[in-house]
Amino acid sequence: MPQYVLKRIFEMIPILFIVSVLIFFFTHLIPGDPARLVAGKDATAEEVTIIRSELGLDKPIWDQYITYMGNLFQGDLGTSLKTRLPVMDMFADRFMPSIYLTLSSMVWALILGLLIGTLSAVFKNKWPDYLGMVTAVSGISLPGFWLGLLLIQVFSVQLGWFPTGGIDSWKSYVLPSLTLGAGIMSMLARFTRSSLLETLKADFIRTGRAKGLKESIVIPKHALRNSLIPVVTIAGLQFGFLLGGSVVVETVFSFPGMGRLLIDSISFRDYPVIQAELLLFSLEFILVNLLVDILYSFLNPKIRQVS
Amino acid sequence: MKKKTKIYGMPFATNQLSGCEVNYFKFRESTENQTAKNEIPENQTKGGNEMRRIKFWRILLLVVVSAVLFVGCSSNESSSGKNGGSKKDNDELVIAVNENFITMDPHNTGDTNSNSVQSAMLEGLLGSDEEGKIVPQLAEEYSISDDALTYSFKLRQGVKFHDGEDFNAEAVKANFERIMNDDSLRLYSRGFSLITNIEIVSDYEIKVTLKEPYSGMLTRFVSAKILSPKLLEAGSDEIGKNPVGTGPFKFVEWVQGDHLSVERFDDYWDKKERVKKITYKPVPENGSRVAMLKTGEAQVIYPMPSQNIKELESNKDVEVKKIPSTIARYVSINTMKEPFDDVRIRQALNYAVDKDAFISVVNSGFGLPLDSIIPSKTLHYEKQEVYKQNIEKAKELLKEAGLEEGFKAEIWGNTNSDTMKGMQFIQQQLKEIGVDVEIKSMEEGTLSDEIYGAQTPEDAKVQMWYVSWSAYPSDTTNATKPLFYGGSFPPGGANTAYYKNDQVDQWIDEVNMTPDENKQAEIYSQIQKQVYKDAPWIFLGVDEILAGMRSNVEGVYISPTGGINVTDANLK
Repeated sequence: MPQYVLKRIFEMIPILFIVSVLIFFFTHLIPGDPARLVAGKDATAEEVTIIRSELGLDKPIWDQYITYMGNLFQGDLGTSLKTRLPVMDMFADRFMPSIYLTLSSMVWALILGLLIGTLSAVFKNKWPDYLGMVTAVSGISLPGFWLGLLLIQVFSVQLGWFPTGGIDSWKSYVLPSLTLGAGIMSMLARFTRSSLLETLKADFIRTGRAKGLKESIVIPKHALRNSLIPVVTIAGLQFGFLLGGSVVVETVFSFPGMGRLLIDSISFRDYPVIQAELLLFSLEFILVNLLVDILYSFLNPKIRQVS
Repeated sequence: MKKKTKIYGMPFATNQLSGCEVNYFKFRESTENQTAKNEIPENQTKGGNEMRRIKFWRILLLVVVSAVLFVGCSSNESSSGKNGGSKKDNDELVIAVNENFITMDPHNTGDTNSNSVQSAMLEGLLGSDEEGKIVPQLAEEYSISDDALTYSFKLRQGVKFHDGEDFNAEAVKANFERIMNDDSLRLYSRGFSLITNIEIVSDYEIKVTLKEPYSGMLTRFVSAKILSPKLLEAGSDEIGKNPVGTGPFKFVEWVQGDHLSVERFDDYWDKKERVKKITYKPVPENGSRVAMLKTGEAQVIYPMPSQNIKELESNKDVEVKKIPSTIARYVSINTMKEPFDDVRIRQALNYAVDKDAFISVVNSGFGLPLDSIIPSKTLHYEKQEVYKQNIEKAKELLKEAGLEEGFKAEIWGNTNSDTMKGMQFIQQQLKEIGVDVEIKSMEEGTLSDEIYGAQTPEDAKVQMWYVSWSAYPSDTTNATKPLFYGGSFPPGGANTAYYKNDQVDQWIDEVNMTPDENKQAEIYSQIQKQVYKDAPWIFLGVDEILAGMRSNVEGVYISPTGGINVTDANLK
């Protein structure tokens, strides 16, 4: 197992390299001139030229790439064209809040999603199933934007329980994580239900019940565990996406996360920030994938043997 | 109020209800336990299995219900007496704005929000008042020589920087030299590159000499905030993150993307009662900003979304401020492209558009018609005779120009929803006179590339551009020269109408040479008349700025450029 993990980590290096090349050249391919945007609408042509050379954008693109990679290997992500602050500084205040928000959303979405999914499968076509699936369908279909504003209206404006936004205390995370997790919870509930229904038809479940195993053993240990592979896959994917920040939730709750920073940087053509952020997201995504693969092997001994 | 009590009542009702349910479950649980115990040992029938399964799930349900109950109760407790409205103590003012701050380096700032925050901490030799007029700030008085080349300032004495340094002529010189010597700073190319000499006359007197006259220079002395000489030595990285000036508030912290806070500077030269702390928060979503104002989490929000005005006007705790701005909205018409090179066509386009309808449809009724080439708050503004909507006249002009049948045209704009609305409005209005407009909306960076990428007027592909312009009220130069001067064609300026009138060029040169305000007014009057008649734009409207404030806020105002002034901020 440790060997396998190590091998996977080594495999990340060429992937990240290819990703960095793609990110760099595609970022520079977007039409739009950062120098012009930095200089402002009322800037003269000379000013734009001065700023372009100041930012090193007048050099050939290969040159720029080599400089970029050189800095990257020294752990320097560069300086934002827009704010002139080191990219690291801009990430510092946003990275941890993004992680906390992702984790808190994932945790409740996983717990509730599994619970609802399991209940729905066990009580198929009975009221817990209907209730669960109505919840799940609503969770998927409610746009995050609308749900967020609704939660603010009820819990901040009317009841005054939670702040409307910011990151002042743990309370600030409640509404954003509810909004962010709602869709994921619903998706997990639906996947758990269908996967579990499939498993419950299997022979080994019938055998288990026939030999007198309690339902409290059959369902969690035999049925649920064997139904988790697709659920873990989906959860892993969602986790990776969430780490990339959520523009909608960050906007509604004025949450200082990574998603809005990326959007702002793209519209400003802030190359160093875009590149650093995309690279970070790729890294996070690869790591989450690795985690999912390791989880597979815990869930299914067959996979363990193969790897 | 009525609404509030209703919702407050709800959780209690549900709690009680679920409380009953729990008891009911418990009761059934215990009875079934007994029956289950009795039955199961007898045989492993399917029914027994069923019972056990039901039992398991019932317990699970019980757990869930009690968990929900627990969460409900605990949050209920914590909420009692802690309503958002009363949470903030009276010593903190929270201001929510729509965008992130970009930099705290005042010599290199291009956005209004960064400027707003800086103005709480930093001051220039000159400042501007509520109307945008230039007033002395760190300079007690100033004068301009007759040749418009030398500016003399008498500085205020006894002023301290937040780090304890003294404010004097040396400090001013160090600041101006920083800007003169760094061509990457925004202010360099906006006036400061023209400085040839800075002379310290005495500790509190300083003279600045320019290479050539530039009438926008006074406004630049407002923008050029004076930083502590110690900070200047620390370099640009530090300046951008940790500004130190002489203003009424001093910097505390800036958490990227979340907030920036400042606290009262007790040694400020103008002693007045002020609030202890101000926190600025970027809140991009309109609805969230309004919610913050309602709950009292923010005392000032800017901008205030127009769709919420009605709802808040009845709220006694909140005041809505409407301020005429210097933001002009217009469609620039490429005067070098056929058929727009004919002034009659451009006038016809102006006659085709109903300005009042524009304001009510596109600006939700908040705005004024643009009745000159500059907004009414701009210095030397003079009202012109508006192109009132007159379809007959517009058609007549088209006929005279030989285009009775109308023609096809393209309008460009960014992807902002308000811009889209505006372009659709223009499209619909011009259809009335047979002009078939195709809308092309482009993402901002791409659009900027398309417009400023054209190296010569012949390269330019733009026909009409739906856009806005804003300059400081005192800076008529910046409200005219980049837009109507023959030397300001893209990429060297924003004259995207490619408007060139030799007479106007001469006037613009002339007006920038004279320090005499009366003469300036006279020339600007002529410029406005001529350009308005030449119609290089479809003149649309001037925005009214909307801000929301809690009624206990005092001494905070929004300037015509959208800057938030907190110099005398206090809470009742």
